[in-house]
Amino acid sequence: MSRLWLWVALGFYSLGLVHALLTVVRRRPAWFRLALVAIGLGFLFHFVSLVEQGLAVGHFPVTNIAEATSLFAFLITLGFLVAYWRYEMTSLSVFAFPIVFVMTLAAVLSQPAALPVAPLLEQSWVPLHVSFALVGYAALILAFLAGVMYLIQERELKRHQPHAFYYRLPPLETIDGLGSRALAVGFPFITLGISIGAVGAASSWGSDWIRDPKVALSFVLWLIYLLLILSRVGAGWRGRRAAVFTIVGMVMALASWGANYLSAHHAFLGH
Amino acid sequence: MQLSLVGLNHTTAPVELRERLHFPEKDIPAALHSLCERPGVDEALIFSTCNRVEVLARLEDGIEALPLLAEFLAVARRVGRGAFESSLYHHSQREAIRHVFRVAASLDSMMVGEAQVLGQVKAAYATARAVGTLGSVLDEVLTHAFAVAKKVRTETGIATTAVSVSYAAVELARKIFGSLEGKNVFVIGAGKMSELAARHLLASGAQAIFVSNRTYARAQELAAAWSGRAIQFDELLNYVSQADIIISSTGCPHYIIKKEHGVRFLAERKNRPMFFIDIAVPRDIDPELNTLDNIFVYNIDDLEQVVAANVRERQREAVRAEEIVEREVDRLLGRLKRLELAPTIVGLQEKLHGLRQQELERWRLDDLTPAQRAAVEGMTRSLVNKILHLPLTQLKRLPQEPDGLKLIEFIRKTFQLKD
Repeated sequence: MSRLWLWVALGFYSLGLVHALLTVVRRRPAWFRLALVAIGLGFLFHFVSLVEQGLAVGHFPVTNIAEATSLFAFLITLGFLVAYWRYEMTSLSVFAFPIVFVMTLAAVLSQPAALPVAPLLEQSWVPLHVSFALVGYAALILAFLAGVMYLIQERELKRHQPHAFYYRLPPLETIDGLGSRALAVGFPFITLGISIGAVGAASSWGSDWIRDPKVALSFVLWLIYLLLILSRVGAGWRGRRAAVFTIVGMVMALASWGANYLSAHHAFLGH
Repeated sequence: MQLSLVGLNHTTAPVELRERLHFPEKDIPAALHSLCERPGVDEALIFSTCNRVEVLARLEDGIEALPLLAEFLAVARRVGRGAFESSLYHHSQREAIRHVFRVAASLDSMMVGEAQVLGQVKAAYATARAVGTLGSVLDEVLTHAFAVAKKVRTETGIATTAVSVSYAAVELARKIFGSLEGKNVFVIGAGKMSELAARHLLASGAQAIFVSNRTYARAQELAAAWSGRAIQFDELLNYVSQADIIISSTGCPHYIIKKEHGVRFLAERKNRPMFFIDIAVPRDIDPELNTLDNIFVYNIDDLEQVVAANVRERQREAVRAEEIVEREVDRLLGRLKRLELAPTIVGLQEKLHGLRQQELERWRLDDLTPAQRAAVEGMTRSLVNKILHLPLTQLKRLPQEPDGLKLIEFIRKTFQLKD
């Protein structure tokens, strides 16, 4: 019955969504506090649902697309809460809450009737591979949102005519810092996730997995991630260029995620 | 209870008139006394600043407020009523409370959100309280107004944006860098405005400072004052890349810093952002620099434009502040109604006499002769009345006490009187 708690979490997240939509119309600090509490409660119930699902299936619950989506939404919420705690970034909520809501909704709706888990997915490396990759993706989403916020705020500042965004969004350097930190946290996870996947897959299927389109895309994604980090650390890219680059990386990641549906190995159905 | 506010402000009266009616601080106590000596005036407060002169009073029911208070102003300031009567506004009851709230929250100010007015209202309150013309209702209205002002300040943005050019520069720097801690400022060319902007930046946490000026001695002088470093004018380009914020205001006829310099600075700084504030006319900094990533150039017109946008933003936020004021007026009116004196007195009497009645019934006096019963009833009634006498006398004085409403509230709670 872990879906019950996921529904409860979704209910709380929907308050966050309402807040995000209303903020576009008119801003009230009191609403944000309410939304924050709602998101926090949603996060707790989401955690309960993950634990319960894990106990029910007897392992870390990332062995079907619904579970993975749920964990992903959970990680994005976690990322938002950490970013909020660290930077008091209220405006991030406007971008993050709708994503969390949609992902959780997708997780609730796509929950399959207890399908027998494909034997492949019972191998112990798979949950690790998926969870680490998801942490990497969630960090990338945060970096992406930071990139979008950066571009908006930068445009406000360059045009010399402040509009609503100028007043609501955080300072450029703060946004840039969030972006680069999210990448710095995400990179080790995505690297580990992909490496575990590669090693595990090689031992399970030999070299066959390399022709999987998702694998190719993931590798490209990892390269982009690496380039994002290198460009910031090595070449001193920052600000606008880094923001644009992060957004491009995010689009690649989306393609990679979408490839779950094309890929034989990543459809969570087995080989 | 009749609450009235009569006055004029910067929108209804020219400065010539306002200064004639203005109460110097030292005159206010005597004026308050003379106002409260007029028949029908129970409480009074005078609020006089360079932008407004207002009298707030609680009058007895049936008194005509406007003529009375206008007459008082005329006499107190020795100005003919005809000279200012057409500029006066008169608010009563709910409107008067709302006006006080709006003034304290700086919604009625010339520059919406300016911080000074709240302090002035507090001073006026302290004066009236010290003089003793503040009773329970005005005290409640004013203390509530302070709370409203604070609420408006924290919950809306009416006071958060900069409405002067030099503060706008600081605000922009914050929007770029976040914290200004440890940021370096370079002042090129000494001038009043650049000095002001630099001082604001330093006060906001900016750290080291370079100063360069055509006359080196002047640069040294300023650098010494800010414990910064003076740079020879023809060497300044070698130092600019060390600065995060550059304020320029020289009399040069051409650009000092051109786009190719900007490219070089960025390379030297590994793209850390730079903020150029160009207050010189003709401009010192090539506007083309603004097209480079991580460089932001604002000239004097751009800053003015930001200030104008900030003022509009304050006005938008003021709409939300008005909603807060409206809600709080309702709350205060509810409280004043709950804590009215007459129902409290009646309630107290009913409460004690009710208790007496209950006890009489409990002790079953049927066995007594009629004469005995009459004696017991008479005795208990007179006992209750005697007990009530002192508190009631005290209660009736409360409207004139600044903390009266709090005491009424206390009594209502103690005797559990129903609202």
